[in-house]
Amino acid sequence: MASSSSSGLTFKLHPLVIVNISDHYTRVKSQMNPTLAPHNNATNNGGDGVVSSLPPPRVFGCVIGVQKGRTVEIFNSFELLYDPSTHSLDRPFLEKKQELYKKVFPHFYILGWYSTGSDAEESDMHIHKALMDINESPVYVLLNPAINHSQKDLPVSIFESELHVIDGIPQLIFVRSSYTIETVEAERISVDHVAHLKPSDGGSAATQLAANLTGIHSAIKMLHSRIKVLHHYLLAMEKGDVPCENSLLRQVSSLLRRLPAIESGKFQDDFLMEYNDTLLISYLAMLTNCSSAMNDLVDKFSTAYDRHTRRGGRTAFSECCLVLVSRCLVLDSFDALFQLCRHRFLSSSLCCLGIGY
Amino acid sequence: MDIEQRQSELIDQFVKQASAASNTSAISSVIVDATSHPLLFAFSEILALPNVLQLEATDEKFYLDLLRLFAHGIWSDYKSNADRLPQLVPDQILKLKQLTVLTLAETYKVLPYDQLMQELDVTNVRELEDFLINECMYAGIVRGKLDQLRRCFEVQFAAGRDLRPGQLGNMIQTLSDWLSTSENMLVSIQDKIKWADSMSEVDKKHRKEVEEKVDEVKKSIFKVGWIYFYCFTSLEFFILKYIDDIMFR
Repeated sequence: MASSSSSGLTFKLHPLVIVNISDHYTRVKSQMNPTLAPHNNATNNGGDGVVSSLPPPRVFGCVIGVQKGRTVEIFNSFELLYDPSTHSLDRPFLEKKQELYKKVFPHFYILGWYSTGSDAEESDMHIHKALMDINESPVYVLLNPAINHSQKDLPVSIFESELHVIDGIPQLIFVRSSYTIETVEAERISVDHVAHLKPSDGGSAATQLAANLTGIHSAIKMLHSRIKVLHHYLLAMEKGDVPCENSLLRQVSSLLRRLPAIESGKFQDDFLMEYNDTLLISYLAMLTNCSSAMNDLVDKFSTAYDRHTRRGGRTAFSECCLVLVSRCLVLDSFDALFQLCRHRFLSSSLCCLGIGY
Repeated sequence: MDIEQRQSELIDQFVKQASAASNTSAISSVIVDATSHPLLFAFSEILALPNVLQLEATDEKFYLDLLRLFAHGIWSDYKSNADRLPQLVPDQILKLKQLTVLTLAETYKVLPYDQLMQELDVTNVRELEDFLINECMYAGIVRGKLDQLRRCFEVQFAAGRDLRPGQLGNMIQTLSDWLSTSENMLVSIQDKIKWADSMSEVDKKHRKEVEEKVDEVKKSIFKVGWIYFYCFTSLEFFILKYIDDIMFR
């Protein structure tokens, strides 16, 4: 039923619509099975438990947006009730919603409708035809809620209706169209936020480090795959499989001239200075921890032994005193060091302290 | 890149003109037009045309050499061969100097002013900077920073010149080096991630062990120690009282 569209319209889909549809589906599905623990399943796989023998519910709604010439941009969507008896959508509700949305977004028109499922069906054509009086060529956005881990792109497809002659009878059938995703800044931020879900308690330093490194890793991986493509292309050009395209070669040569990206002497100086500073600060922090732990120990020591060695235990008491005094000295020196930190005389002083410690 | 987009129309136009040109003088005039045009920096398409290459055999050969110079050579090449090449109009001289800057940017990212002045036959720094700013950066063929204190020009981006025949191999080599470096980087990042995870595991275990030990010691001390403590303190008390009595009789 779905072949490729030839109407020449370009579709732009906003992530808000996808999130709305998926949210609608998840709500309906979790309300259907109240005994099932609500985890984030927009899925209908059978390993889900006993209750998922019911077929996945189909949700319906309307999509709204702007059409400028040949470009159709779908911004938002809202839900609609489907009346299974008349096989049509709830018309008065739709009109009321349309009025309300018109007040807030005067430029948005109803561009079509959405539903969930794995493929477009015959019964969908009724709904499609019903909407044709609002918009003469509505679009049908279909979300496939089955989670398929091997699938790389979004399970969203956009269908248009075209008049084709089948068996001598002109019929409207659905044809698939391609679309691009277009984001507003707010949408980009929220999608980015969801994609980088960090552990909510801030995690330990190790998990944060791992998350950071994973981000860098995926970025470098993408760069690597793109350079590989260029490499293959040039190899093919050298062998003669592809005709030499001079402008491309010029661009590649200008790109390669930007390497090595960070190699000057100034960079090395700055980098090493910052590296040394970080190491010294962590060393300082460690020493502070040690001295505070020693502080606690000495406190306990003095509390424990003070009572018993008031008169006789002179050695223990003087030992305590000595330790106390040295502790004070060390803390004072750390104070001084923190001041020095700001003036970068750090390295020599810390080295001395480290040796003396 | 926008330079290539700007140039592509010009290149097409000149290629059409050159293929339509019937005799050698027409081709030569097309070559002169192409090399003086202020926005055109790519000549290898014109160089590849068959009727341009036919100039090799005629006595207008030096126009072909001129085109080759503009495709691959620099200003000092022109000066050394000035007798064999036709006289250049000022537009062409300017263009050749721009192309010289591009070639220099190929090999070094930081170009000292002295070298630039020598290569471009410019005597003072002011003229050099004017040339770099007006002719090169505003034309969009280079982007970079001028460092007056260190007297150098740091190139961040330079447009590509036409490729010499051997350069393709070098480019492929550079790309494969880049690929292997990024692969190594990926592997080392993976290792670091694993290291971070394993260290956090070790740390957690260690912490748990220490806490368990503390609990154990607390329990054992609580049972045994406080009997000990009680006897000891009462003994202490009586001894001290006795000493007190003796001392302050």
